[in-house]
Amino acid sequence: MKFVKAVLSVIVAIGLVYALNRPWGKVPALGSFLSPFTGFWQNGEKLADPGAEIELKLDSLKDEVTIRFDDTGVPHIFAKNDFDLFYAQGYITAKDRLWQMDVQTRAASGRLSEVLGPATFELDQRSRRLGMAYGAEVNIKIALSDPKSREALLGYTAGVNAYINQLSPKDYPVEFKLLSYKPEPWKPINTMYMLEQMTLTLAGRSNNLNMSNILKKYGSEVVNDLFPDYPMFQESPIIPAGTPWNFTPVAIPENKPGNTKDTVLTNEYPKEEPKPEGIGSNNWAVGPGKSKTGYPILANDPHLELTLPSIWYQVQLHSPDMNVYGVSLPGIPSVIIGFNQNIAWGVTNVDADVFDQYKITFKDTTQNSYWFDNQWKPTRKREEVIYIKGQSEPFRENVTYTHHGPITAYTDDSNGTINLATRWIGHEPGNSFLTFYDLNRAKNYDDYRSALAKYVGPAQNFVFADNGKNIAITVNGKLPLKRKEQGKFLLDGTNPDDDWKGWIPAAQNPFVKNPPRGFVSSANQSSTDQTYPYYINWIFAPSERAIRINERLEKMTAANADSLRMLQNDNFNVLARTVLPKLLSILQTTPLSATYKAAQQVLTDWNYQNSPDAIAPSIFEEWMPALKSAVWDDEFDSPKAPMAYPSRDRLVYMILKQPNEKWFNNIKTPQTETLTDVTVSSFKTAVDTLIARHGAMSPSWQWSEVKNTEIRHLSRSLKAFNAPHLKLGGGSGIVNAITKRNGPSWRMVVELGPTPKAYGIYPGGQSGNPGSPYYLNLLDKWEKGELNELIYLSSPDQKNQHLTSRVILKKK
Amino acid sequence: MNFVIIFIVTAILQFFTPWWTVALIPFVIAAWRPTTSLKSFATGFLAIALLWFLYGLYLHISSQGSMSNKIAEIFSLPNGILLLIVTAIVGGLVGGLSGLSGYFARKATA
Repeated sequence: MKFVKAVLSVIVAIGLVYALNRPWGKVPALGSFLSPFTGFWQNGEKLADPGAEIELKLDSLKDEVTIRFDDTGVPHIFAKNDFDLFYAQGYITAKDRLWQMDVQTRAASGRLSEVLGPATFELDQRSRRLGMAYGAEVNIKIALSDPKSREALLGYTAGVNAYINQLSPKDYPVEFKLLSYKPEPWKPINTMYMLEQMTLTLAGRSNNLNMSNILKKYGSEVVNDLFPDYPMFQESPIIPAGTPWNFTPVAIPENKPGNTKDTVLTNEYPKEEPKPEGIGSNNWAVGPGKSKTGYPILANDPHLELTLPSIWYQVQLHSPDMNVYGVSLPGIPSVIIGFNQNIAWGVTNVDADVFDQYKITFKDTTQNSYWFDNQWKPTRKREEVIYIKGQSEPFRENVTYTHHGPITAYTDDSNGTINLATRWIGHEPGNSFLTFYDLNRAKNYDDYRSALAKYVGPAQNFVFADNGKNIAITVNGKLPLKRKEQGKFLLDGTNPDDDWKGWIPAAQNPFVKNPPRGFVSSANQSSTDQTYPYYINWIFAPSERAIRINERLEKMTAANADSLRMLQNDNFNVLARTVLPKLLSILQTTPLSATYKAAQQVLTDWNYQNSPDAIAPSIFEEWMPALKSAVWDDEFDSPKAPMAYPSRDRLVYMILKQPNEKWFNNIKTPQTETLTDVTVSSFKTAVDTLIARHGAMSPSWQWSEVKNTEIRHLSRSLKAFNAPHLKLGGGSGIVNAITKRNGPSWRMVVELGPTPKAYGIYPGGQSGNPGSPYYLNLLDKWEKGELNELIYLSSPDQKNQHLTSRVILKKK
Repeated sequence: MNFVIIFIVTAILQFFTPWWTVALIPFVIAAWRPTTSLKSFATGFLAIALLWFLYGLYLHISSQGSMSNKIAEIFSLPNGILLLIVTAIVGGLVGGLSGLSGYFARKATA
């Protein structure tokens, strides 16, 4: 009996320990998670002691490194050589952002399911089929064969690993504890994955299938009418219209009308996600003639999904031949957007057509050869192995590669399976890292131009200013040499005519230096006017942000950093100014009930500002999509064969200049609708929607409440780690481009001069730890549209009231 | 006395051993030193619960609940202090059962 009791009680005790020592579904192993000695309790942080001096002995450093922190948590790194510099950058970035680095690398390389289970399997499969890992492997070989990028990558890797190696499980970022896995050693190729991920975000999709469906259904006349290659109503291109092209273009492939017309695709899987509006960016620089200081001033605010931690990490990097400050991407050595003693630069996305799909004819189902140029050509296979948490056997898939790129199969009721190869800039070998490496230490305009020539993609509009009083902007990246509209539709994978035919020479990428108007700018709009000899894309982001920016810069005189900061926060709605008077005049002619009348009155009184507390923008921003649906849904909404919708510009043109177009008629009703009918009906729909969601018109209709911008934790699911509710104006198509989920992920203004004076902010904080005082410390100022002065040091011992602790890394 | 030994020994070992050390020490102490069944459970429970509670409270206060309040939200608890009580109870149960097992093990082999 005694013995039974002993055995039973031991079994119960061991059972409890066992149960607490393993994860159950989404619940982490509670024993170690709850224990204050190992669990999440360890992740609460205090403010850093401002007077602290910490010395760390670390492996493989070459020399001593000094890191000064300022009171916002930004590290200022002083090293004596490149290896140590990037070592320290890796070490410190990992200290603040290790889980972010891990999860983003996993997302890019299709390895999320290893730690998150079947939920992320499709995402992983998509990354694998797109050849993200393939692209990264191609690029790491080149990066490691160049001495500069090799040193940077090896130093960074050693630094990240030095940090990881001294962690015990209690020190792991809380996300590792919640998800029950541990950090793995960092590898140089992870940097390439991060670059692939950026390429995917900014240049990883195309609407050529949706366009092909339209071509099939409506023919080229309708396509040419509704999907023109240049905005019809208004545009303000990046390179000012009329800028001469001082070069002799290389031979451009001939224009031929033959487009693949034989496919209507259900596009079932993988479903293409349209690029959300709000992923874009603004940048500009005013020349000395427009500034108070007599030197250029440069501004940049890249718009991306807003997450916690931020996609950006601020850092100052100082070595004997360089002193740069700006934002880096965790996982990539060097600064991506920033300034140094002499220059400043920033980027916006080009939206070049660098993602094309080709219809492939295989000889048989083995996919061992495909028809090209009148012969069978062999394919290559690449095995993708996806490990899935909780499953003993990994998923294996052989992805077929043609010379265009990897194959994705699309299945369709009427056509069966269609195999499409993706030709994508993300597979193109190159060393884009060197562009940033060189910009970090660039001294003048020539350095900037030669740094840019090394860049592959994703193509960016690189704005530039220097203390030699130059300003410039370059539409930059490796841009394929194509005939006009090549890649607007699905391409023919059997025909060599449809292949990319080399590249636009880097020196002939559109650029302008010190233009007569005294400023340069970009907001993802058309790169050039229609005189540029090469085809870059047929559609770019809508022009409203660019129009507003250029309008204000045109008028700006005696500008200082604050003038540019105010422009970054500009909430003016150009679309409303353009189209609302016409729409309201139509409403005037219709009798409306009191509810609608009240909404109409609010719009009539509106000053076109998307201010956070205004109600008019809520009505307008609800109305425009409703109007778009009312006009186009009947013709272009088709679940069987998804189609692109005509652009906003095209619709505005039709409303203002072609009010009698047949497209206003809803073909699904027996009667004939007019512009007036769709205007009134969509207005009522919009007001009804607002009432349904927010009740009768009241302060709950305020724009910030209706838009309800969310900054989510990177997990997208741990709500407790999200930012609190924010009161924000702006919107899509507004210079202050804050939408529900996207917006200015970094705002920077740099006054060039004998010493640069710079300001910047991003929504979040330097630390990725939700339990750190540096997790959200920058958010309030960002929300208010304010900027922090960026502490640009020239030596580690410089006196500055904002400096706090000091960390010294010494060779072990 | 057993309480003090468990509390101190576990506290020291916890800094460099896995969490389940809290299941070993009460067992060893109750198996080694005379006690009763109720006392062995209560001592193990209270020693571990108090140890986890006090250290957790220190971490909670010194970080102003910056992490504990958020984790509490994930576990649908109103605040970090309640989560601290849950933590103490979980630790206490392990300590208590382990102490009881130690007592019965002593009886079985005596």
